[in-house]
Amino acid sequence: MRRRLLESFGVVTVFVTITVTLHLTSESVGGQAPASTAWGHSNLEGIWLDVYATPFERAPEFGTRELATAEERSALDQVRMGDSGRDRRGPPGSSQDVSGAYNAVYTSVKPAGPRTSLVVDPPNGRIPALTPEAQQNNEVRRQWRIMLMRNTPTCEQGAPACEGGQFGPPSPRRFDVPSFYNTLRMNRHDGPEDQSSGDRCMLGATPDFNGFRRIVQGEDSIAIGYDTGQGQGFQRVVYLSGRHPASPIRLRHGDSRGHWEGDTLVIESTNFSPKFPYRGSGENRKLVERYTRVDENTLEYEVTIEDPTVWAAPWTVRQELKRQSDEENRIYYEPRCHEGNYGLPALLIGARVDEQEFEAGRGPDPFSMDTATCVNGLPE
Amino acid sequence: MMRNWFRGSTVIVALAAATVGAVVSVAVRNTAGQGQDQGQAPRPAQTPDGRPNFNGVWQVNNEAHWDLEAHEARPGMVMQEGVYPYEYARVPAAPVLALGAAAGVPGSLGVVGGDGRIPYTAEALRIKQENAENWIDRDPELKCYLPGIPRAMYMPYPFQISQGTDKIHMTFGFSNAARVIHLNDVTGPPDYTYMGHSVGRWEGDTLVVDVTYFNGKTWLDRAGNFHSEDLQLTERFSPMTPDAIWYEVTITDPETFTRPWTIAMPLYRRLEPSATVLDYPCIEFAEEFMYGNLRREPLVTRWEGETMIVEITRKIPPGDRLHEWYRR
Repeated sequence: MRRRLLESFGVVTVFVTITVTLHLTSESVGGQAPASTAWGHSNLEGIWLDVYATPFERAPEFGTRELATAEERSALDQVRMGDSGRDRRGPPGSSQDVSGAYNAVYTSVKPAGPRTSLVVDPPNGRIPALTPEAQQNNEVRRQWRIMLMRNTPTCEQGAPACEGGQFGPPSPRRFDVPSFYNTLRMNRHDGPEDQSSGDRCMLGATPDFNGFRRIVQGEDSIAIGYDTGQGQGFQRVVYLSGRHPASPIRLRHGDSRGHWEGDTLVIESTNFSPKFPYRGSGENRKLVERYTRVDENTLEYEVTIEDPTVWAAPWTVRQELKRQSDEENRIYYEPRCHEGNYGLPALLIGARVDEQEFEAGRGPDPFSMDTATCVNGLPE
Repeated sequence: MMRNWFRGSTVIVALAAATVGAVVSVAVRNTAGQGQDQGQAPRPAQTPDGRPNFNGVWQVNNEAHWDLEAHEARPGMVMQEGVYPYEYARVPAAPVLALGAAAGVPGSLGVVGGDGRIPYTAEALRIKQENAENWIDRDPELKCYLPGIPRAMYMPYPFQISQGTDKIHMTFGFSNAARVIHLNDVTGPPDYTYMGHSVGRWEGDTLVVDVTYFNGKTWLDRAGNFHSEDLQLTERFSPMTPDAIWYEVTITDPETFTRPWTIAMPLYRRLEPSATVLDYPCIEFAEEFMYGNLRREPLVTRWEGETMIVEITRKIPPGDRLHEWYRR
């Protein structure tokens, strides 16, 4: 119990390391931003956000239709407001109740937007098929995670997090080193590398569609600071000159080189690190992003994502970003998750205490408990 | 035997010298070639709105990150008493011993104005000295924490200035940190911060920035110099040439210092055609340092409570003729 509480405390701490009140505005925020900079580029400066929650991929019933009707948007909002998971509780006083105590305060959702999906190309709004190589990589990762949970109630009760897995004794492979670089939660806490990127305060990959971003626009470089939530975020510099560095240079958010095509900023990014994958795409990722200022408070953002080792074809996401108030969002650009990360050491300490208790015959086998899936592991 | 070995060495050295010469001449030619198609964009001394053009990649070229005050070179970042009982005869201590001469601290005439000393209160001076003695345990840089201002400005990593219309953005290589200097009217944040709240204005060609809302958790250098959350800065960025900025900071913190004091140094433009700020993603670099004792199977030899015991080994590389001779 002591360990469970410690772990729960750890998870909660990660979530609340920094809570900033983010004020969403889709209306004009006062003060006119000039349409172009003194050096003649279209002026993209400001804090920008997609104020709508749009399904990433399009539901099949919409076919190739990009925009939803008012009725369809309203219906989607109704479904979300009625989502029982928004205030799901475990038995009062249980560790499940503590570790899963995320109600609507933590999981607030934005209203449905005009688009039926963020993906706009292919025309059906669906991400192209995964390559056999990517499918196999995903399967290896999934099997690894299930292997570590096979002795837990999650697998015993056939919860979604154990889908395709069998309940059984702890696996003889449970102390192995995984065959891939881990970035997600797993049911083992041998060291920092067993934790998710988020628990290690390294959340966020490029491209990012959910966070706030601040653009500060110089004549030959453009800085973009992202807030991806939970005190995490990252900085990118887009150079308007020069070339991508040599291939061995691998960067968390790639190397970004931009140029102007009329009033559109076009950014090409390569040299991504395998350690910060986006949807399974690591070092072979190539992005072409386009920023176009549509009006005073709207920025159109489009990104084409290409990785022939992961997807059968390139695909494109489009968003309309709305200008946010500078005055009301004046701290978010300081991501300081790592500085307050009591969650990671608490998770590790909890796991060590558990092992000691088990060895002394005072507690259950750590591998018989699910300390990985948090809310998702709970049976419906 | 010895003579043969010596003659062989001479030939190798000569060959090596010739190779280095060839590589250097190729490198010079490449750089000249790059200048045409890969160089930094032409950058006038002024922006179109008539301000000094600070856009680009910048970095100090000094020892301020070691110690703002004047100091002699030291043999180790961490030291212990040597054979002789004098302060000047101390030797590198275990945590850095394996790094040999790469673990020392270069000397500096200091960057503190006036008498060159930081005017600590008596109590703060005691804390500073404790900080220095417990550097490894206390310096937030070693944990990859946000470095704060002014420290981020003179760490040995490049940073980018993107000079916008009503903001100036600085993106630091270290810890992926950043600061936004508001040239327009933005009130302070709802919480104290590591990197401070920067509000700037132009006084002629000098960018003057007031920085407040500090949380008191950052340091000023690796020598234990520190401040409280009462810290207030006034920074002045004045162009010296198109490629150098005179950077001066007035540091006020009545909780820690008996009077305001200043530091000053040049910031230099990185002139390489391919100058780029590469991220130094040190959160993961510091994980073993911060959490290694919490592993199921620690990588470090052993821990005594919360103290890391590191055994230092330095292997004589195979092929070292002197040691092979000595061992025989």
